[in-house]
Amino acid sequence: MKDMIKITLPLVAIFVVAGIIMAVTYQHTYPVRFQAEKKEKEEALKEMAPDATDPINPAGTWTDNNKSYEYYQATSGGRPVAFIASTAGKGYSSYIQMLVSLNTDLKIKDVKILDMNETPGLGDQVLEQSFLDQFKGKSLSQIVLIKGETKENIQAVSGATYSSRGVTNGVKDAVQTLVDKYGAGVKTAAQEVTK
Amino acid sequence: MSNNTSLGALFKNGIFGENPVFRLALSLCPAVAVTSGVKNGFLMGIAVLFVMTMTNVTVSLLRNFINPKVRIPSYVFITATWVTVIDQVMSAYQRPVYKEMGLYIMLIVAFAIILSRAEMFASKNKLLPSFVDGVGMGLGFTLSLMLLGVFREFLGKGSLWGVHILPVKPLLIMIMPTGGFFAMGLMMGWLNWIDRRFFGGAGASSGGH
Repeated sequence: MKDMIKITLPLVAIFVVAGIIMAVTYQHTYPVRFQAEKKEKEEALKEMAPDATDPINPAGTWTDNNKSYEYYQATSGGRPVAFIASTAGKGYSSYIQMLVSLNTDLKIKDVKILDMNETPGLGDQVLEQSFLDQFKGKSLSQIVLIKGETKENIQAVSGATYSSRGVTNGVKDAVQTLVDKYGAGVKTAAQEVTK
Repeated sequence: MSNNTSLGALFKNGIFGENPVFRLALSLCPAVAVTSGVKNGFLMGIAVLFVMTMTNVTVSLLRNFINPKVRIPSYVFITATWVTVIDQVMSAYQRPVYKEMGLYIMLIVAFAIILSRAEMFASKNKLLPSFVDGVGMGLGFTLSLMLLGVFREFLGKGSLWGVHILPVKPLLIMIMPTGGFFAMGLMMGWLNWIDRRFFGGAGASSGGH
């Protein structure tokens, strides 16, 4: 009995003290971290629609594979200038988290990868601007991944086919969502998409 | 290790004599996993250096308080506490660094080398030697990972620290996990050969985790 107390008490003391240290650290760092993360998100959204002057707030959520994503309408003086959606696509070894923005003609304005965990040296080549720039100016029907030379569609990075497919699928889902939500409001562009 | 060993010798011991990766053969999984590039190796090493030093110091201070029968849970909890504190503080105040290193910090809790130094060294030694041992071992770990990183990144990607040096990728397999084992084995064998040939040492023979 005496042994039990002698062994247990110091262990409990260590756990309690360590728990207090962690709780205090969390309490002090949480507000700072929350603000920093919020600011980073705002900056990322701002980069997706640099011509928007009003603050960009979530307009709603959409779901894909049981995951929930947000979409946004970027406005300048109350007039829409871009539609943005967060999205993800399954790559080779991770979900590739992205932001996609559309111009008001429903063609892709910009694609930005926020987070991913693909094979270094192979899959992470989808981060290269030369791959992502291919999406710019494309409409929904053009977002098809091709293995080989293409100007009309999206050319997969050689050695990173799965990751390229992940990005392309994620972008396509996001564009589809944005077209569904905002396409009716932009008639001329909607005609071109359905063509 | 006797208590008379000078601090300088203790410091060098972590880098050469008992190098965590190539001599003690501990924490080989992270050593293979993160060394696809020099930069990754460096960041992982620095993160380990911090946690190891803090854990060593704490264990050394509490060495008469911790009951030997429950020492392992105590050490693991001390490591976990420091990892959590560093992770939280860094994610709040050092965002740019955290974005690069955040991935590695949480992994450190389960590193064999940290637990091993707490058990083998810090629990039997005073504060200052434990501190020096932590720094030395941490630096030894960092240098080993960087050495592996240089080898693998140069052969696999033709670059160093993300800067392209060669126009081609000579041996793509080196940055894959398979190449990690190749690199580790070759490097360890090469260092053992140097040790035997020039310093008359016995070389590392035991395996770890």
